[in-house]
Amino acid sequence: MKNSNQLRMIVFASLLAALMAAGAYLAIPIGPVPIVLQNMFVFLAGLLLGSRWGLASVGVYLLTGACGLPVFAGGLGGIGRIVGPTGGYLIGYLPAVFIVGYISGKSTTRIGRDVLAMICGTIVLYACGVTWLKTLTGMTWSKTLIVGMYPFLVGDALKIAAAAVIARALRPIIGKGLRQ
Amino acid sequence: MAELTSFSFSAGDSLLHRLDARFKIIFIIFLTLVSLNVYFRGLGFLTFILLGAVFYARLPFDSGLKELRYFLILLFLIFLARVLSTHGVPIIDLKYFSVSMEGIYSGILVCWRLALIVILGFAFISTTPPSAIKAAVQWFLKPVPFIPEKKVAIMMGLILRFVPVILDQARETAEAQKARAVENRKNPVYRLTKFGFPLINRTFQRADDLVVAMEARAFTENRRDPELIAHKQDWMALIAVGCLCVSVLLLSS
Repeated sequence: MKNSNQLRMIVFASLLAALMAAGAYLAIPIGPVPIVLQNMFVFLAGLLLGSRWGLASVGVYLLTGACGLPVFAGGLGGIGRIVGPTGGYLIGYLPAVFIVGYISGKSTTRIGRDVLAMICGTIVLYACGVTWLKTLTGMTWSKTLIVGMYPFLVGDALKIAAAAVIARALRPIIGKGLRQ
Repeated sequence: MAELTSFSFSAGDSLLHRLDARFKIIFIIFLTLVSLNVYFRGLGFLTFILLGAVFYARLPFDSGLKELRYFLILLFLIFLARVLSTHGVPIIDLKYFSVSMEGIYSGILVCWRLALIVILGFAFISTTPPSAIKAAVQWFLKPVPFIPEKKVAIMMGLILRFVPVILDQARETAEAQKARAVENRKNPVYRLTKFGFPLINRTFQRADDLVVAMEARAFTENRRDPELIAHKQDWMALIAVGCLCVSVLLLSS
């Protein structure tokens, strides 16, 4: 049934958007910098829902935050967060999730392709985030990279590895719901 | 139920509370654009009026400040970055870096603008219930092609409902992990997957139950839209804000 499928995708996309909102608060303490789970859920949205519904999920998440509902990190929503210094990372989620969904495609088993998709997504994400951070603060490129990219790369690698494992385990469960 | 933040809608009966949410969103967009284009005199004037409105509406400003403290740290870092990276006539000249008047000037300007935009958001959220925001967004998206505004409104409502469920589930999963001494494991990927998988799997199962429940109740997108009525005071406020924007722009040019 097409209608039922669509309702299921709406609910799943909302769920992943809510996971992104909650992911800003969920951190796993490993090493000096705790690993925040938000972008892992963004990647999972791309992997599990595909490019189109992944984009919808992130888009609605950003819209909800931009309207001032408290879904961004730090609790305070509002358009100020998108205009603010870390806004580039938020906007960057849009192309990132689309690319992750597009590259990983409908593959169910190929884990290498998923990892490649997420690496491309990460590159796009940092391209948006670091450029915006540099424009707003007026720092030099090298300083901006030290503040806005290098400290997170190890965590990102771990998150990509974890997301690939989780996506492989979850796809059959979600796919089963969708094919019914 | 876990709460995302204490910072949210607080009931009241001031003019700010009674205005139509659609108009409030328009005001925020106007004032944000204006504040990005004016300098110190204009910003001072805007801040004065805005703080006046916040205190007039008796908003919980102290709890707002508490939520804002992380943002204030961020603002301070931006200020430092601006000060240290802008070149000009140095006031304090140390061996590795110098502080110039131009740097302090541009640092204060950027931080003030951002703070003003955040206070605008604070005034908006604490005077507007989430359902009104949802209805206003739906109304604004109606003329936009290719965006199904009803679906977007449904998704926004679902997100707000799901977040406390997820946070509860996350706390439960974290406690279950502690009971199994997962934090003694060195491998971070193992810990991430052992936390992420049960969390997502269980919330997806709950979402699946929700789909069945919605279908069983004959859910359809064609519901009656929420009613939004613009009163005279909304138009008056629109004119007032328009005059304010123009006068601030003239003041600073």
